[in-house]
Amino acid sequence: MIDPALFDIAIIGGGPAGQAAAQQTLAAGLSTTMIDEQARPGGQILRQPPPAFAVKGWMAGRLYRPLRRLLAQTEADARLKWRGATSVAGIERIGDHFRLTLSGTHGGTLLARRVLIAAGCYDMPVAMPGWTLPGVMSAGAVQTMLKSQQVVAGQPIVLLGSHPLLLVLATQILDAGGEVAAVLMPQTYGRMVLAALPYLAGAMFTPGPLMAAGAAMARLRRAGVPLMMGARPVGFTGDGRLEAVDYAWCGRTHRIAAQAAAVSYGFLPQSDLPRQVGAAVRWARPAGGWETICDGAMRSSIPGLYVAGETTGVAGADAAMAEGTIAGIAMAMDAGARAPFDMARAQARRARLQPFINLLRAVADPGDVWPLATPETLLCRCEDISVAQVAATIDRLPAMADASAVKHRCRIGMGLCQGRSCEHALVRRIAAARGCDPDAVAPFRTRFPARPLPFDEIIG
Amino acid sequence: MSRLVPGVTRPAPFAIAIDGAMIPAHPGETLAAAMVAAGAYRMRDDRSGAPRGMLCNMGTCSECFVWIAMEDGWRRRRACLTLAEDGMRIATHEAPL
Repeated sequence: MIDPALFDIAIIGGGPAGQAAAQQTLAAGLSTTMIDEQARPGGQILRQPPPAFAVKGWMAGRLYRPLRRLLAQTEADARLKWRGATSVAGIERIGDHFRLTLSGTHGGTLLARRVLIAAGCYDMPVAMPGWTLPGVMSAGAVQTMLKSQQVVAGQPIVLLGSHPLLLVLATQILDAGGEVAAVLMPQTYGRMVLAALPYLAGAMFTPGPLMAAGAAMARLRRAGVPLMMGARPVGFTGDGRLEAVDYAWCGRTHRIAAQAAAVSYGFLPQSDLPRQVGAAVRWARPAGGWETICDGAMRSSIPGLYVAGETTGVAGADAAMAEGTIAGIAMAMDAGARAPFDMARAQARRARLQPFINLLRAVADPGDVWPLATPETLLCRCEDISVAQVAATIDRLPAMADASAVKHRCRIGMGLCQGRSCEHALVRRIAAARGCDPDAVAPFRTRFPARPLPFDEIIG
Repeated sequence: MSRLVPGVTRPAPFAIAIDGAMIPAHPGETLAAAMVAAGAYRMRDDRSGAPRGMLCNMGTCSECFVWIAMEDGWRRRRACLTLAEDGMRIATHEAPL
C-alpha cells in the first residue's frame, strides 16, 4: 500500500451482504475495511447485544443459523479492519478511488480503490393520524430493541401493517414473555392467498420462511393473540403518548388499548449514499423507495462502486448474503485477484431465492390497503409539514415539478432525516397529481452529510 | 418491567437523569433502550410542543434526538445510537441553557 489510509476495499454495512463480501475479498488478499453505525457487526437481522451482556440462546432459530455462522467467521477474522459505531456521512469519487467522510468512533476520512455499499434497508414510514405519538414505532425498531437490548418496547403492544414480518415479531415478543394485544393486517386472508398463489410452487424450493410463517400463526393461536386479517388500521390516539389503536373491521371502527405499536407496511432501501455519489437508481416495487441498479456481478453504474443486499432492492437476509458473495468475487476479479468461491455458483444460489422473494413482495404489497392520512397528518416529521401543506404546494407548482421543487417551497424533507421518512410519500403524491409513474418524478437531490454530524466534526 | 430477565445477564445498573428524574441503565444499553424500558417514550418536542419518540431505532429517522449534558455544554445526539453512561443528564423538552 502506498498510502496507509488507502484500502483496496471499503465495505459500508456490517450485515450479511457486507460480511459475505468481506469473506471473499479478504481471502483474495485484498486489504478490507468495514464500516457500520452499530458497535458490532451483524446488521439489523443479527443486531448483537452489548458485549457486557450475556444472553442465553441468542437468535437460536434454525433460519438464523447460516447468518450466525457467517457472523462468527467475520468476528474471528483478524484481517478485517472493523470500524464500528461509525456513520458514513459522505462518499465522493476522486480519480480512480473513493473518499469516505466518517463520523463517530472512527471519524475522519478514508480512501478506498473499491467500495461496496451494503447499507441495508429501513422500515417504510407510513403517515397516518396520530403516528407521531411516542410509543408508535416501526416493527424494525421493536424487533432490534428486543434482539439487541433485550427490552420489550412496551406492553401490551399492537402489531399492525401489511407485512408478514409482523407474524415473526409477534412470536419473538411472546417468546420473550411480552404481551401482544393483537396483530392487525389490512389485507384479507383470501387476498393474501391469491397474491401468493402464482409464486407458491417456486417458493417451495426454499420452504424455511413459509414454514416459519405457518408456525408463527399457530403460535399466535395457542397464545390466544388475535390475528385479524382484513382489519384496517385507522390511527393512533393518546394524551402525550400512545394509548390506543383504532382500526376498521367488518364495517365498524374499533379501539384497542396499547402502550406501544409496531408498524410494518414494507421496507425502503437505504439509498442516500449511492445517490450522493451519482449511481443510477430506480423506483423499487412494490413498497417504493430507490433501489440501486446493478449488473449480475453487483457492479453499479459508477466504476469501482458495488452494491449488494437491500441496497439493490429489499429481498431479505439470505439474498443479501448471496449477493454479498457475488460482489466480493466481482471486486476480487476486478482487482486482478482471485476469490475462493465460484461466481456462477454464487449467482445460481441467489437465483434460487427469487421465487420466495416474489411471493413475499406480492403478499406484503400495501397496494389497495394503504392507511389513510388526514389533511392534518404530518408527512414530514422533521420539519412538521402536514399533508394539507404538501398538497397545496403541489397544486400551486407547474405540472412538471419534481420533489426538490416542492421541498424548496414548503420545507418538506429539509430536516435531520434528509427526507428518508417523507420522500417516498411525496414522490407518490406528485406522481398521483401528475398521473404518472413514480419513476418519472425526480427525487430530492441527495446532499452531504447523509447523517446528522456534530458541529465540531465539521469545523474540525 | 420490560427488560427480559430469564437468560440475560447484565452488569449492575447505574442511574441517569431524564429531565431530572432518575432512571436505571445498565452498562451497554443505549439511551433509547434505557428510556423505553423506563416508560420514558418522550424524547423530543416538535415545533408545536407535541412530544415525539423513537421511530426506527437504527439511526435513520432522527426522531430520538435528545439533549445530553457534556463537558462543553448541551449537545443533541440520537438516543438509539448513544450509549448510556453513569450519571448522564438528558433533557427532552427544550434546549437547556
